[in-house]
Order: sequence, then C-alpha cells, then structure tokens
Amino acid sequence: MDVRKFAVPEILFGAGSLEYAGLCARRFGAEKVFLVSDTGLEQAGWVGQVLEILKAQDLDWHYFNEITSNPRDFQIVEGARRYLEAGCDVVMAIGGGSPMDAAKGIAMLASSGGRVQDYEGANRIQRPLPPMVFIPSNAGSGADISQFAIITDVERQVKMSIISRTLVPNISVIDPRVLTTKPADLIVSSAIDALSHAIESYVSNIASTLTEIHSLKAVDLIMTWLPCAIEQPGLENLEKLSTASTLAAMAFSNTSLGMDHALAHSLGGKLDIAHGLIHPVLLPPVMRFNMAACPAKMADIGQIVLGKRLDTHEATALAGIEKLEAFFAGLNVSTRLGQIIGDKQSLEKLCRMAARDVCLLTNPRDATVADMLNICKEAW
Amino acid sequence: MPNKPSLEDIVGIGHSKLGFFKELQHKIEELNRSNMELMRQRKHVQAIVDGIADIVAVISTDYRIRSVNHSYYDIYSGDNPAGRHCYAVFRGRNRPCEQCALKDALEANAVRRQSAIVSVNGENRHFEITASPFGQTDGLPGEIIVVKRDVTREKELRAKYYHAEKMATIGLLAAGVAHEINNPLTAIQGFTDGLRRRMEKLAPHIPDETVKADFNEYLAIIRDECRRCSDIVRSLLTFSPRSSAEFSRVALNRVIDNVLRIIQNRLKQQPGLRIDLALDENLPMVNGLPEELTQVILNLVLNAMDAIADQGTITLRTVFTPEKNSVSVEVADTGCGIAPEKRSKLFEPFYTTKPVGKGTGIGLSTCYHIIGAHGGEIAVESTPGAGSVFRVSLPAAEESARES
Repeated sequence: MDVRKFAVPEILFGAGSLEYAGLCARRFGAEKVFLVSDTGLEQAGWVGQVLEILKAQDLDWHYFNEITSNPRDFQIVEGARRYLEAGCDVVMAIGGGSPMDAAKGIAMLASSGGRVQDYEGANRIQRPLPPMVFIPSNAGSGADISQFAIITDVERQVKMSIISRTLVPNISVIDPRVLTTKPADLIVSSAIDALSHAIESYVSNIASTLTEIHSLKAVDLIMTWLPCAIEQPGLENLEKLSTASTLAAMAFSNTSLGMDHALAHSLGGKLDIAHGLIHPVLLPPVMRFNMAACPAKMADIGQIVLGKRLDTHEATALAGIEKLEAFFAGLNVSTRLGQIIGDKQSLEKLCRMAARDVCLLTNPRDATVADMLNICKEAW
Repeated sequence: MPNKPSLEDIVGIGHSKLGFFKELQHKIEELNRSNMELMRQRKHVQAIVDGIADIVAVISTDYRIRSVNHSYYDIYSGDNPAGRHCYAVFRGRNRPCEQCALKDALEANAVRRQSAIVSVNGENRHFEITASPFGQTDGLPGEIIVVKRDVTREKELRAKYYHAEKMATIGLLAAGVAHEINNPLTAIQGFTDGLRRRMEKLAPHIPDETVKADFNEYLAIIRDECRRCSDIVRSLLTFSPRSSAEFSRVALNRVIDNVLRIIQNRLKQQPGLRIDLALDENLPMVNGLPEELTQVILNLVLNAMDAIADQGTITLRTVFTPEKNSVSVEVADTGCGIAPEKRSKLFEPFYTTKPVGKGTGIGLSTCYHIIGAHGGEIAVESTPGAGSVFRVSLPAAEESARES
C-alpha cells in the first residue's frame, strides 16, 4: 500500500486567531451558529468572548453545553435535534476533545439523521456535514484536526470510533491564549495525550514521510517545552505545546494510532477517566512490545528523548523508553495501572474489547488479547 | 462494530471530505426540472388564456395594461399594448373614461360589469366588459382582470329578431284592422255608387246648378277617397301570413324590366335622373308572386326617385351569392340618404319621412312583409347626404332554371 493520503483542515494558528472565528463562520454562509462548549469554558469567559465575536459579525447563535467529558450518544442526539430545531447552519465548538467530538457527532446526525451507532466504523457518512469551525482549548486531543470522533455508547459501555474524512473540520482556529486559563494538571494530561499521538502515529504501519516529520517534531516540542510550561505557563511556552499538539494531530489523523489508544479507549469506555492519564501508564510497555516490529523507528523516538543515539537501535529505543518513564514520573501523574483501576479482574474483558478497537489495526506489531493482558499486568 | 474497518478504510483514498457540490448539482437539476415544469404549466395556462375567444387583459390599478391574450390582436391591430393605458388602447382617450368598470370594480373590490359600444378601427363594436379584482395584498386588489366579450353580432341578431317580432305583431294588427275596415268601406263605396245613380235621376229636379255641382263633386271625392282606402286596405292585407303554395318561378331581371316600363312616364318628368342597370344575366330564378315582387321593386325605385331632388343616379343591380344561395336586388340612389335614428323605424307601417300627403307610410312596410313572406330579407344602408342602398335578398329557387 504505497499510496498515502494527507488531509488536514485549514488552520488559523496564533495568539489572537480567535478573533477571526466569526469571520470564518460567516465565510461559510452562516446566519445562525450552533456553538458547542462546556461550563468550564463558560466560567473561564471564553464562551462569552466567542459570542461577542459572533455578534460582531451580526451572527445569530444557539448555544449547547449539555455534554460531559467522553460525550455520550444521547447527548449527540439531543444536540442534533436542537441544531435542526434552531435552524442553525454552521457548527462551532470551543473546548477540549469532548465538546469537539460532540460537535462532530451533532453535525453528522444533523445532516444525515439516524443514530450515532449507524456511523460507527470507517467511511460510513454519506452526506456532507454543516461547515465546522473548531477552537481547541487544550493542546492534546487533536479533534480540531482529525478525522476521528470518539463517542460513548452508553448501553454497550464502549467508545465508538467514527472515522471519516468528512469529520475533518473545515477550519481549526488555534489560539494559544485559550490555554492560559487551563489548570496545570490539564495542561499536563493534554500534552501527554499529544505525545502519545505523536509516538503512536510515528510507528503506525501506515505512517509516511508526510506524517513522520510532524510526529517527530511534536515529540521534540513536548519533551522540550512541557517542563517549561509547567514551570512558567506563559503564552510563549503554551504556544509551543499548541504547535506540538497540532503537529501530532496532523500526523495521527492520517496514520491512526496504536495499541496504547486501543487500550485507552477500552479503559475510558469502562471507567470514564481522563484520557490523558492512561498514557503514562500504558505507553512505555506498549512501546517495549512494539519495538520488536520497528526498532529503527523506536530508536528515532529514543534519540529525540535522549538527545543522542546509542550503539544499537534497540539500546537507543530502550533507553528512550526508560527516559520517558522517568519523564512521566516527574510530571506527578499515576504511572501504575493499579493506581487507576482497582479491579484486576476486569482486565481481561477490557483487553478483549481493545482487541476490537480500530486503533489496533495500525499498531506496528500484531497483538493478541493475551499480549495486551501481559502488557496490562506489566503496567500494574 | 458492524464491519471492521481495514487499513485502506483509514487511509481512505476514495473518501474525501464531502462537500455540497453534489447536493448543489442535485438541487440545480431539481430546480431545472421544476422550472421546466413551471414553464410547461405557464405555457399551458397561456394557451388556455389565449384560447379564450374574449379579450382578456390584466390591468394595474393605475390603468396600465400588464398583459393581454391572443384575442386582443384579433380585434385590435398593432403591437403588444403592455405598459400603455387601457383608456388609450381600448378607447383612444387620453384620460380614464367617465364610466369605467375597472374603477368601479376597484372601488367596490368586487366584480363589475359594463356594456359599451366602442369604435374599433372605424367600426362600432359592442362589448360586454367584466372587471374582476385579483392579486389581493393587504385586502386591496393589486390588479384587475378585464374580460371584453365582443357581442356586436349577437346584439345585431337580437335587434333583428326584435324588429322582426315587432313587425310581425304590427303586421298582424294592421291586417286585422284592414279586414275590419274592409266591410264598412265596401258598404260606403256601394252606397256612394247608389247615390251617384240616384243623382242622375234627381238632377233635372234640382233647380240650383251650384248645388248640383257640389253634390256631384262631393260624391266623386267620397268615391275617390274610398278607392284610396281600399288600396291601403289591400296593401295591409299583404301583411297577413300566406302560404307559399301560390308561388311560381320569377325572374327578377324581368321584374325590373317591368318596373322600368311602369315608371317610364314619371321618368320623363325628372330629366336629371339616370337609371343604371347592372344585372347578372345568369341570375337564378326565385319562388314568389310576380305582382308582389314587382310592387316591392317599384316601391323601392319610386322611393329612390323621391330621394333624389334634381340630379342623381339610381343603380339597379342583381347579384347571385352562391355561398348563401341567395339572389339579391339592390336599389341604390345618390339621394338625400336616411338619418341613422330613422333607419330603425323605416319598415314600420305609417312611418314616413315624406311631406304630408305625399306618402302614407305603407310602402316600405308592405315591402318588408312581402319579402318576409317570400323567405327573404330587406336591408338598408345609408349615408345621409350621399344616398341609400336597399338590398332585397331572396333564396334562389332550386337549380332548375336560370334566367336567359
């Protein structure tokens, strides 16, 4: 499979880009914008600011915030109903992965109808979506760039992956100023999420030069600037993390991810825990497992993490993974799976579910349920 | 998951972000289709409107014509009148008419009708006009549909019918009166003759010559007047319906010859008068009573002579119109003509335009009834000051004999 595709939305990047969000919507012929966000951003004042920007463009809006983190299928159905009822014509989202994924789902159902479950899988959307203008409020999810939407099926207790080029937003407005109001722990978990995107996309079996360059640059930026951003969460440092997150998303949207995310989705669906907190636990053992399939690539990552190369690929890779573990430990986050889930009994079920996850498809090394169970035990 | 995605699915070479281009294409196609359908319907409606034999005009509230149907061009010549004022187009005026169905309809916001005689290309036409407001906005009509039905022919036919009815009634009345008068008249005449015979015996016994002369004169006057009455009565009796059993074949050209012979002497008294003949030598015969037809033509020629004061021409023309299977005799004069208001009464008995004593008003009325009894028609065209044309049309007899 030599032919690759690289697709990203139009991107407005930089402090102040938010001011153009209304203009972007207007350019798509908007008269009434369906704005999706959550209470956190309302309190931080960003929602109010977006509404002012819309007002400045003489745009009407309908505001929707009835979503939780890890958005649920019924919330999407309600959102789509409200979109149609209010007669909106553009979907705008400001927030992290949850509001943005919810906005994608709402746009999808508003144009095509049916249930979210109808579109689970790849390329099942048949009708064009309303134009989407997304403003990411964290430097991690990449939902403003990617062709993925992850929505929880409440009944089956699974995270459904919906993959479609049509889910790529029309415009991503990335304004690092929005990150300045985020608490430090959220900055950290987002950056770890972005790092996991970068690493998994780099070793994905459909990675290409077009994506690899973004992946490696993202790893580099995060390793260098996350400690600085924690120490000094100024605009300059946060902008670096924004760049990293965007680059990682540009890569993984086109390469998909790997086993770390397959397991993370499975855990997230079951436990409803912050996505970013699972990676420090799972990513190192997953990397060790995958190294056998792509030692050179793992060594590339190791080189960036270490800042140098060792004698062999394996040595570089392993040293890199160790450094990474130390890096995570230094971030004051849980590094053992046992700290996150109390019940070891459910592991096997979780691994069986992960084995069916789309992300596993692009993992560089084939993995069985038993393989994953071993990894989980290693991470316990 | 319904069907597990493959790597190819994630690369998604065949899948791009869906745009609205296809939707737009479909929409445009749909619009085109519905546009075609609308056009077809519009044409259909236009064809229906054009198919209406009446003039249909849509007129705005400021008297401007928006559109007309095809029938407009059948009656009015010229270009599309859209944009021009209705009063200018229909009536040749430069401001709205005093009597206006459109204005009435607008004021009442209801259908209004009007009947009007309008001159179109120098010809009087009778229109039944219906004005209906439509295209309501805020309860006020936006436009008026004016339908003009040309009822000229219907009106003519109806007038003819009424006239014929009237004439028949009058004829019946006159014939009845004539009948009743006939008996006393016969008695007066008989006794007058008796008195005259007695006068011959009485005369030697009357010493006074003056009285005798008076008696003789008075008796002569009574007898003459009685004869005159008899003539009138006889004429009136022709008003009553008769059967055509007594008809025979008549050659109208020969009838004209006859008439000319009769008036020979009178012609000599009017040296300025010329008689022109334009006779169709192949004229078919007609069925009728020769004496009566002679009386009709004679009457018309004498009237024509009366109409010409000094100098003038009377043209006698016979024409065969095969399409109508009709034979007609025209008596045209270059005389004084008849005023329009008098034309309608022309054929009524005892209506005369001649000086008192010169005409009884029976002549044309008799002609009318005679021709009516022959299944024909008598019509008049006249221009005051230029002359009149009386045209007698009779059905041609079956294709058996032609005049020779």
